[in-house]
Amino acid sequence: MSAATAAPALATSALHALTDPFAQTLMQRALLEVLLLAAVGGTLGCWIVLGGLSYGAESLAHGMFPGLVLAALAGVPLLLGGAAGILVAALAVGVATRSGRSGLGRPGRIGRDDATAVVVTTLFGLGALLALSPAAPLGVQTLLFGDVLGTTPGDLLAGAALVAAVLVALWLAHPRLLAAGFDRPAARGLGISPALVDALLLTLLALAVLVAVQGLGNLLAVAVLVAPAAAARLLTRRLAPMMALAVLLGALAGLGGLYLSYYASVAAGAAIALLLVGVYLVARVVAASGIRKGPAVPAG
Amino acid sequence: MLVGETMLEPFQLLFVQRALLELLLLAVLSGTLGCWIVLRGLAFPVHGAAAAAFPGLVLADGLGFAATLGGFGAALLFALAVGRLGAGGREAEGHGTLTALVLVAALATGILLASDVFHSAASVESLLFGSLLAIGPADVRLAAAVAAIALLGSWLLGTRWLATGFDRDAARSLGVRSALPDVALLVLVALAAVSVLSAVGALLATAVLVVPAATTRLLTDRIPTWQLATAALAAVEGTLGVWLAVELNAPPGATIAVVSGTAFAATAIAQAVAPRPRTST
Amino acid sequence: MTALVEASELAVGYGGPPVLTDVTFSVDPGERVAVLGPNGGGKTTLFRALLGELRPTAGTLAVQGRAASVPQTERSRLDFPVSALDVALMGTIPARAWWRRPRRADRAAARAALARVGLEDRAERGYGELSGGQRQRVLIARALVQDTRVLLLDEPFTGLDAPSAERLEALLAELAGEGRAILIATHDLEQARRWDRVLCLNGRQLAFGDPAAVLTPEVLGATYGAAIVTLPGEDAAGPHHAILPPHHHHHDHAPPR
Repeated sequence: MSAATAAPALATSALHALTDPFAQTLMQRALLEVLLLAAVGGTLGCWIVLGGLSYGAESLAHGMFPGLVLAALAGVPLLLGGAAGILVAALAVGVATRSGRSGLGRPGRIGRDDATAVVVTTLFGLGALLALSPAAPLGVQTLLFGDVLGTTPGDLLAGAALVAAVLVALWLAHPRLLAAGFDRPAARGLGISPALVDALLLTLLALAVLVAVQGLGNLLAVAVLVAPAAAARLLTRRLAPMMALAVLLGALAGLGGLYLSYYASVAAGAAIALLLVGVYLVARVVAASGIRKGPAVPAG
Repeated sequence: MLVGETMLEPFQLLFVQRALLELLLLAVLSGTLGCWIVLRGLAFPVHGAAAAAFPGLVLADGLGFAATLGGFGAALLFALAVGRLGAGGREAEGHGTLTALVLVAALATGILLASDVFHSAASVESLLFGSLLAIGPADVRLAAAVAAIALLGSWLLGTRWLATGFDRDAARSLGVRSALPDVALLVLVALAAVSVLSAVGALLATAVLVVPAATTRLLTDRIPTWQLATAALAAVEGTLGVWLAVELNAPPGATIAVVSGTAFAATAIAQAVAPRPRTST
Repeated sequence: MTALVEASELAVGYGGPPVLTDVTFSVDPGERVAVLGPNGGGKTTLFRALLGELRPTAGTLAVQGRAASVPQTERSRLDFPVSALDVALMGTIPARAWWRRPRRADRAAARAALARVGLEDRAERGYGELSGGQRQRVLIARALVQDTRVLLLDEPFTGLDAPSAERLEALLAELAGEGRAILIATHDLEQARRWDRVLCLNGRQLAFGDPAAVLTPEVLGATYGAAIVTLPGEDAAGPHHAILPPHHHHHDHAPPR
């Protein structure tokens, strides 16, 4: 093959390599799912990261595990089980935190993080109890690590609806989220209720976790909600570019994970999760070594 | 009594006895170390260290070297990486993000190794949730050793851990060179996380190491009392959990987690409902 | 001319016993009122009540329209990805229905407010990149955008250098000239002397009135306790006093290594 024909042939085979995986329906669906995840993870993720809610996001994802198991056992859509699970988890964490504070009249005898850990571990154990008993049929690993290649049209529809709802809510609430995040007490003076803003964010977080759990599973869902936004935060200075970059990074990691699963035959969800974390680590290195993004405070 | 005899039947089985021995040792560990974990806000690092051990265990399993070593290596790495201990363990946001993501990466690596590299997916569940009723003598020895080290550590370094936890700056000015005792604490945490792995798995370590201490914390805050009560509670929870697991044919690690969580909930509710006389400050 | 702010026997609390009581004062259009008192003495509580965040537990409080506040600068997050314009734009939220996004008119108003405080060419800069004085001015712009008749400023002069302080004084005079009522929490007695009224709070109202009448050693002593120093030199108004700087900030007292 002469040099003149080598280049186009190379390009063609490269093109094939990129598009071949998506000739299959299941990969197409997986791609759509991944894009949905990137959309919600990149946008809501910025608020999660800016608001210090990473730990809460992870706890919610873990805490809903028994809900998912019960739904799988009962043959009920996972979405319902997940939603119920999240409600229970959120309530339990709230109660545990308050009880920790009210013990013997001294505040914070059990820190909020510890109370959350207690609740989450117990719920997780409950889920495992239900899932691993011999009576249960189960794909526990599917629930734990996701099943992005098993995305059904129903999953896509539900996921799209949830993501749309989250995006619309974020669009509408943006000014208030910004004001409350920037200066919480002053936000009250502007007529914003920080408590309502918190409640909204937690609700949206729950919806996002429900979507993420389908593709990435209980244990890995937090990756798409935190990693892209955290990476983007290290590389940008304004919120709009941060969100855009986060969505892009999430999509790239998701795409990469799908390619890995196709060509290297590895578990898709785990591959995506690893790439997401990898993106974050790279961003950290770039931010630390390269351009100093931090604020330079001039004198006076 | 026939009922009594039937109830005690599980305890005649050898593997149950071994499981109980393991749990009693872990109860000592839980009592000794659990209080420091709660006091210093180390619940998340415990969870993280245990979960981080997961890929190490898969690797060790696949390559054929001592599982404990693989697990411990990973756990220690995690604990040290995470362990910038502030007073009370409050983490800055950047810190929390990194540790949450490292945890995810560890779990993802583990499942990748298990399902696609070593094809040992069958053992994933027992690695994640423990295999208490398949405990071997080596596990028991490990638990005994770690419990002993924890006792020693608590006895020798307890005052320093307390001082640094209470007020890091003041502790430094009081001459406590806070780096070494804290490092020791983190190493202990990693060891403890690894020692509970065989019993309750990589995802439920806090059920043994944190939940009992958190439960008794609701009732007392004097450290010696707290440690003893925690050890006792952990022992009871462990025994009950194993018994239930055998009777109901349920996974023992998860059963223990549910039992200890229920105990916490019960204590919390009882406290909320029956107000105790306020101790004047 | 009706007062823009009127308080009568006001008491305010946070759910338990009131932390501020016996507050009776009024502010007419064009008046600048210095609010004096130790930290924790009730200045912030009064401001929150004026903003409508706290309901009076006793007495009455009437404000014409809304009040806009300029809080202390240190409390806002420097790491938040907002520009000066974004912050000023936050002031347009109260006047807008919750489902509406900022319109061009809102943006223009925010820019105009920034221009008024001399920051029109810094509008796109990150808030955290600005100097302390500039951040202060951005927060003032955020208050100005709300175009309220009542303005509250919480220790706005803290940490300002002389030119910035002068600029701020001039702006306050301008705003008062427009017929607004301005309450300024401050620890600077010389400033208080120059304005129209002084209000002293320490758990309760200790005095309200003209500076000459209020800024006496007795009243100041009751307001601040032992933290008054008398400066050398006197003038027609009497001896000069100063308040020892309050301990706002947490310092690291560990010995340097």
